[in-house]
Amino acid sequence: MILAIESLSKAFGGLRVVDDVSLTVPDGGLVGVIGPNGAGKSTLFSLVTGFVAADSGDVTLDGRSVATLPASGRARAGMVRTFQVPREFAHLTVRENLMAAAPEQSGERLFDLFFHPAAVRAQEEGVRRQATDIIEFLRLTAVADTPAGRLSGGQKKLLELGRALMTGARLILLDEPFAGVNPLLIEEISQRIRELNGRGIGFLIIEHDLGALTRLVATLHAMDRGCLIATGTPDAVLSNPRVREAYLGGAA
Amino acid sequence: MASFVELVLTGITSGLVVGLAALALTLVFGIARFANAATGDMMTVGAYAAVVSMAASGSFTLGVVAGAGAGIVVALLAHLLVFRRLAARAPVTSLLASIGVAFVIRAAIGVAFGHQQKVFGLPVVRPWRIFDVRVQPIDLAVVIAAAATLLVVFLILYATPIGRRMRAVADDRSLARVSGISPDRVMVTMWALAGGVCAVAGVMLGAKTVVSPDMGWDMLLPAFAATILGGIGHPVGAVVAGILLGVVQEIATPFVGFTYKIALAFFVLLLVLLVRPAGLFGHSEGAR
Amino acid sequence: MEAYFVAIAIIVAIYTLLALGLNLQYGLTGLINFGHVGFMCVGAYTAALLAEQGWPAPLSFLAAAILAALAAYPLGLVSLKLRDDYFAIVSLGFSEVVRIVVTSERWLTNGVQGIPGIPKLMGFTGSGLVQASAVLLLLIAVNIVVILVMRRIVHSPFGRIIEAIRDNEDAVKALGKEPVGFKVRVLMLGAALAGIAGAFYAHYIGYVAPDQFIPLITFQIWMAIIMGGVGRVSGALVGTVILMAFLEGSRFLRDVVPFISEVEMASVRLGVVGLALILFTLYRPQGLMGDFTRR
Repeated sequence: MILAIESLSKAFGGLRVVDDVSLTVPDGGLVGVIGPNGAGKSTLFSLVTGFVAADSGDVTLDGRSVATLPASGRARAGMVRTFQVPREFAHLTVRENLMAAAPEQSGERLFDLFFHPAAVRAQEEGVRRQATDIIEFLRLTAVADTPAGRLSGGQKKLLELGRALMTGARLILLDEPFAGVNPLLIEEISQRIRELNGRGIGFLIIEHDLGALTRLVATLHAMDRGCLIATGTPDAVLSNPRVREAYLGGAA
Repeated sequence: MASFVELVLTGITSGLVVGLAALALTLVFGIARFANAATGDMMTVGAYAAVVSMAASGSFTLGVVAGAGAGIVVALLAHLLVFRRLAARAPVTSLLASIGVAFVIRAAIGVAFGHQQKVFGLPVVRPWRIFDVRVQPIDLAVVIAAAATLLVVFLILYATPIGRRMRAVADDRSLARVSGISPDRVMVTMWALAGGVCAVAGVMLGAKTVVSPDMGWDMLLPAFAATILGGIGHPVGAVVAGILLGVVQEIATPFVGFTYKIALAFFVLLLVLLVRPAGLFGHSEGAR
Repeated sequence: MEAYFVAIAIIVAIYTLLALGLNLQYGLTGLINFGHVGFMCVGAYTAALLAEQGWPAPLSFLAAAILAALAAYPLGLVSLKLRDDYFAIVSLGFSEVVRIVVTSERWLTNGVQGIPGIPKLMGFTGSGLVQASAVLLLLIAVNIVVILVMRRIVHSPFGRIIEAIRDNEDAVKALGKEPVGFKVRVLMLGAALAGIAGAFYAHYIGYVAPDQFIPLITFQIWMAIIMGGVGRVSGALVGTVILMAFLEGSRFLRDVVPFISEVEMASVRLGVVGLALILFTLYRPQGLMGDFTRR
């Protein structure tokens, strides 16, 4: 089991936004979380990845608690998130965005930069090659040297996925990877996720829209008003009366 | 003991000046979402307007009213000409523009009135003695002016519909927009309040010390410290923190010397940021 | 006339050093440093005091850079973890406190009178125009070195990360890197540059006093980098030249327009800098927010 979330809770003011949520992602798993707007999905992500401090509960990665680590520490431990509204480095090119994500770069230390330039250059070549491979894999070659701020919504989602891959993460948390993406590209992104999952990378994916996600994941969780209300195969969860009520009730 | 009580009393009166400035700062910070560096110079405007009108009319009360009026006019002009047009941009833009506004105000006052210090021609009165404690009548006047201003501001904030809307915007801007609150009216009211409060603080400061073009700018740091200590966007917190800071400054002055008064505010600011960046009364989200 | 141009060029070169430091901090990293003049002040007084003690200039300049950087360290550590506008306030406060300290600690700094008689640099070249030209050449050389170092930084993994921090700090954290360490280092680097600029300034003017280090200087540098184009290394020089043309122009104005005293002129200059800041934020936001073109 790569990720275990145990009884995570968070309240803002008096409102319990995430209420005693527990779930797991098995090694190399592909797990989805659905729920209507305001169900607490994004807050759950922020709690798991350390962007918001939890009131109670625990998060373990590979059996080790990461609850006391800051966001950057949790990412270094192998768990990297994307954002609902993509947060590209707008003034860097796609290639630079990816290269920035590579871990442990000696060129990030000013001392090495000026006193071990050969080592920095050698490592930089490796990072550049790795970035090129990922850009090709994600079919972003045409925009590789375009500033990321000019990409389409779907391309930005791919860019964030690419950055996560550069870090060498073993678990990637995608926050609404299909939101605001055109249907052709949705299929494209799904296919990439499947391929990466085939290579052993685990995924935890939040979606508001059900279609693409239910075709992708093996296990689905449903949230409503901060609570986990159903868990199982996509078909079982979608036919669960509480889930139907949550979605219909939210629409009414 | 009596001298210690006197120090505390002086601290409370000068703390009220800081508290009022911090109140103006926190209103802008909470609602327009940027640190208004022109706060101090809006104080200066109030002080000069009061000196001039008092010289003409001889009435201190009239001076306070004229000062507040001038502060309101200048703040509304700054809002309409500059800050309203920057509202959609990053906070750094408004912050930098407020430095510009501060410089322009200070320059205009410098050109119009020169750099000679001015004083309110208040009659010199012997201090009263209450038990063994000396009380300066001017301090009493300052406290009354501050109390009246605070009463008006808090009545507007907590007992009128526009005040309720202002607090709603301060709490959650997007929520407030959804519920149909007109941001324009809230902003105009807020700037009028902030300008008036600044100006009264300036009059009080000028009455206690002297009036000069630089007087307000020097209050900026204590006001910022009190704003953050009180929790950004928290009116009561700003006033309480200002008084606290004033008392600490007065009590510490015999030890650290007069010139380090402002430096002390800076170290209080650093300490707050280190220990409790959200301030005494703030929510934890004040600091990321 | 030559002497006048050399004098102006020296001031431009000193301001360019300051602008390069601020550009690294705001233009590349997004740090809103409103206290740049404070670090310059630390450098100027360090150089002045050490020159008084007979230290050779290379050593006292090194000390000026190091002390300015060390002053930045705790400041950055406390405030760079928080919202970016907190740092603006804290840095502005820092520069005011530095001024209060050099005003108050008379035993060390001679208070408001300041420290006179700081020796000219490059004195071995003689005096007058020759010596001034030598100082100018030295300053140009220093600026070139600094620009080369900046370019190296911009086109490095370090440069990539600080620009990423400017563009989106949370995303940097999400990728496993802690922005605070990078921001503190950038702050210290920029402070060291301001310290060196201060040391040059002290030696060039010949005396230091608290009045030389008012916040107006900080915002003149801001004006320069906005006019030159924020984030552009070459913009620091361009912006400074425009700034200096304007400052010198206002001096000529005083010779032409009668009845303006020196004190009034100071007010006018303050007002024009203020007005320029307002107009730039209103009408030329791209100067402030970039188009951070770096190539």
